[in-house]
Amino acid sequence: MNYEALKSVIVLLALSTATGIFIARAYRLLWVNLRRGGASGRFDHWGERVKGVLVYVGAQLRLFRFLVPGTAHFFVFWGFLFLSLTILQAIVEGLAAFANPHYVLPLIGTWGPLALIQDLLATAVVVAVAYGLYLRLVVDPERYRGSHKGAGVKVLGFIMTIMLSLLVMNGLRINLNEDLLGAWRPVSTLTGMPFASLSPAVQGVIEEAAYWIHLGVVLLFLTELPTGKHFHIFTSIPNVLLRNLEPRGRLPAPQSADGTAGVSVMEQFRWKQMLDFYTCSECGRCQEMCPASQGGSSLSPKLLIMDLRRNLEERGAALSAKSSNGILFKSLTGDVITDETIWACTTCYTCDQECPLFIEHVNPIVEMRRHLIVEGRVDKKLQDALANLGRYGNSFGQSERMRAKWTQGLQPAIKDARKEPVEYLWFVGDYASYSPTLTDVTRKTAEVFQKAGLNFGILFDAERNSGNDVRRVGEEGLYEMLAEKNLLALSKCKYETIVTTDPHTYNTLKNEYVWNGNGRPRILHYTELLDELISSGQLKFGKKLDARITYHDPCYLGRYNGVYDAPRRVIEATGCRVIEMPRHGDRAFCCGAGGGRIWMEEKPGHERPAEMRVREAAALDGVTTFVVACPKDVTMFRDAVKTTGSESRLEVKDLIELVYEAL
Amino acid sequence: MNIVVLIKLVPDLVEELTIDSGGAGLDLTFARWIINEFDDHALEQGILLKERHGGTVTVVAPDLEGADDVLFTAAAKDADRLIKVKGDFTMANNHALARAFSAIIKDLQADLILTGVQAHNDLDGSAGPLLAECLQLPYVGYVSGVAVNDGKSTIRKEYPGGLLAEMEVALPTVLGIQAAEQPPRYVAVSKVRQAMKTSSIEELDASDLNPDGAAEIGRMFQPEAAAHAEMIEGSPEEVSAKLVGLFKELGVL
Ligand code: SF4
Ligand code: SF4
Repeated sequence: MNYEALKSVIVLLALSTATGIFIARAYRLLWVNLRRGGASGRFDHWGERVKGVLVYVGAQLRLFRFLVPGTAHFFVFWGFLFLSLTILQAIVEGLAAFANPHYVLPLIGTWGPLALIQDLLATAVVVAVAYGLYLRLVVDPERYRGSHKGAGVKVLGFIMTIMLSLLVMNGLRINLNEDLLGAWRPVSTLTGMPFASLSPAVQGVIEEAAYWIHLGVVLLFLTELPTGKHFHIFTSIPNVLLRNLEPRGRLPAPQSADGTAGVSVMEQFRWKQMLDFYTCSECGRCQEMCPASQGGSSLSPKLLIMDLRRNLEERGAALSAKSSNGILFKSLTGDVITDETIWACTTCYTCDQECPLFIEHVNPIVEMRRHLIVEGRVDKKLQDALANLGRYGNSFGQSERMRAKWTQGLQPAIKDARKEPVEYLWFVGDYASYSPTLTDVTRKTAEVFQKAGLNFGILFDAERNSGNDVRRVGEEGLYEMLAEKNLLALSKCKYETIVTTDPHTYNTLKNEYVWNGNGRPRILHYTELLDELISSGQLKFGKKLDARITYHDPCYLGRYNGVYDAPRRVIEATGCRVIEMPRHGDRAFCCGAGGGRIWMEEKPGHERPAEMRVREAAALDGVTTFVVACPKDVTMFRDAVKTTGSESRLEVKDLIELVYEAL
Repeated sequence: MNIVVLIKLVPDLVEELTIDSGGAGLDLTFARWIINEFDDHALEQGILLKERHGGTVTVVAPDLEGADDVLFTAAAKDADRLIKVKGDFTMANNHALARAFSAIIKDLQADLILTGVQAHNDLDGSAGPLLAECLQLPYVGYVSGVAVNDGKSTIRKEYPGGLLAEMEVALPTVLGIQAAEQPPRYVAVSKVRQAMKTSSIEELDASDLNPDGAAEIGRMFQPEAAAHAEMIEGSPEEVSAKLVGLFKELGVL
């Protein structure tokens, strides 16, 4: 057999082996394992879904949130896409070698401009991969902590080898006048130059070697695709396609609500959630920005997903082998993911937002919490809060009859929305109602509403905690109970708009409550209402405050519901200047209170998220006021200002206090 | 093993307490009735024993508003039988409660009767010893741990000053629980709702609600803000001498 025929045979064998391995692995992971998961739905809104794939996979939009690495990734992605044609050429060329050693595919191998693009992209990929190696090996940022470094470097090595061998092969072909499109490949021409002085025979051998390296690494890479972080190259498309299209603030309901709700075994996850676990590229964007990780807790959204993936793979293998492997006796909640980790999340949504692959974290975390709740595995403080919420409808453990105590003495008296129709129904919320430190702020809010001539009322003792964080703690039954009571009370009132100062309440009323009858009423955060009142001229200021302040975006107002501008406009209208913290808008750093964290015990020893945030604000030049738009934030940050000893430097104010001062 | 947990419902102190027009009792018209905290521990201890040794847990509660919730919550924690004792318990004292409950508990053939060691409205002594007396059974109070073995129970009893005693008591017996071996567990609302669907409450009539034997209450007062407190200092001997002097001065000795 001559060399060309042998080449064809080897390429054929290698190709079918690699493809076989790839299919076998992918079949086991994607078919066998995923089929063990629960139903996922989401086969709808195809237009929007496909658009998402174009925008988030095609244009890689989210990756650019980390600009330089994002750009590098963009080139690797597009480089690979175009160069897959080159790979195809290499394969076909090998297969056809026995008949024609210089076979070129029509168009792909004959069209000059494509050759030029490929040549330039290959160079871009080399540069991008070099940067990637530098990032991994030299910079090694915090976000890579816990990622598989070896695997990361290996992939980069693969890609680098594939590209360099291609350039060398092309360069030698140009030298040997074997390339019809040589003139279209400037970079390859350059890579060929160092070899030009060698004899044609030697060059031919090197060219052939480069070919084998190129093809060999491509096929090796193919077999490794369905493992670890590389799998995202393959799964990212279906994963982004089937992403969650619901509003961010709407947590999916548990799969069953019969007392066995929640997830305690891998197979109780929906299969799309499992696909999420496979898709993680271990890039660590989520980890770098997670307040729980930064606050030194055992939770990192990235490691969580990686641990879930490992369990999915290990359990999958054990189940298929029908072995009574120890893996099968490990409990998901407790052994694989510890209780402490599950409880550490503030549900701030940063991780979900940052993930370029639309992997969901909050949802599986809450699913596991639901299980812990059913098991009664909660800390003492949280247990007391939940018991209070169940008994009294508030976490403070006070009688509902005391809910409107803060209104005492206000003139004119606040209307009872249950007794007379109002235009605005003010859903006050627990903290604003009961927290003694907030009474002043709540009363000022009422006074501002009165001065603006609003026709408003409250529910008095018929109001209950809205349940937003109860739901995120995983206590779905209690959430339903609270929501039912509130909806019943609201259904008996006549009003047009609901307004609340609490972003958590705002979120669940707006996104999760099931409004019957006339459907969902208009729901406003007080910053939106004030913004409206100011622009319509209904609320006028008598004074111009001339202060430099900074504003903290609450997670459930900003990231969850996209309200960023209204509060800033209101602040500017009072005459204050907003100086932004480095992390603001959708990147705002969580105060640490969300997702029920405010009801849980704090682990001492580490700097809390609120403290880090206060330091961030204190570092701003000339800023003395830290403005918040959430009652819980007032509590959290006033506390953090004290514990960081920043009292002389920074004062925490609710936005309403600025408005009140400027009237 | 047949474990019976006796639960007393008490007015919730979260609501403001007022004295009724008669002046010798609380105005309970708007009271919110909740489980006595120590009874919650008794229930937890019962469930723990069931988990360890098997058997059944029967929970008995008086028919006051909120009793159903308390019973279904117990069922959600895995209690087997729920009994609500019918009758007007609003003003019933512990003597009446003990008599009414003992009649019912007798029929239950209990091996172990657990109840909270005390409640904040025990004006005529705590319910446990009264019940034991009615049933002619031994009683140990301030219990913080129970183990059962061969018809006997080994219990841990707490004394003031951090002293602990371990003692053996023959079954059946009545125990006043100070603290369960672990804090009462949280039970998810979904589980309580589930229990409402799957378990049922038996209603039994109280034979009689006889309050006799208790000290009579002359008058009830709201606590008055005290003017001042005097600190007595010195060695234990000096302090006690001063105290005795003080008591004599006040006419109590
Ligand atoms: S939601 Fe926030 S706290 Fe929770 S894992 Fe994600 S980034 Fe961390
Ligand atoms: S979950 Fe998403 S953001 Fe986090 S490491 Fe994985 S791919 Fe990156």
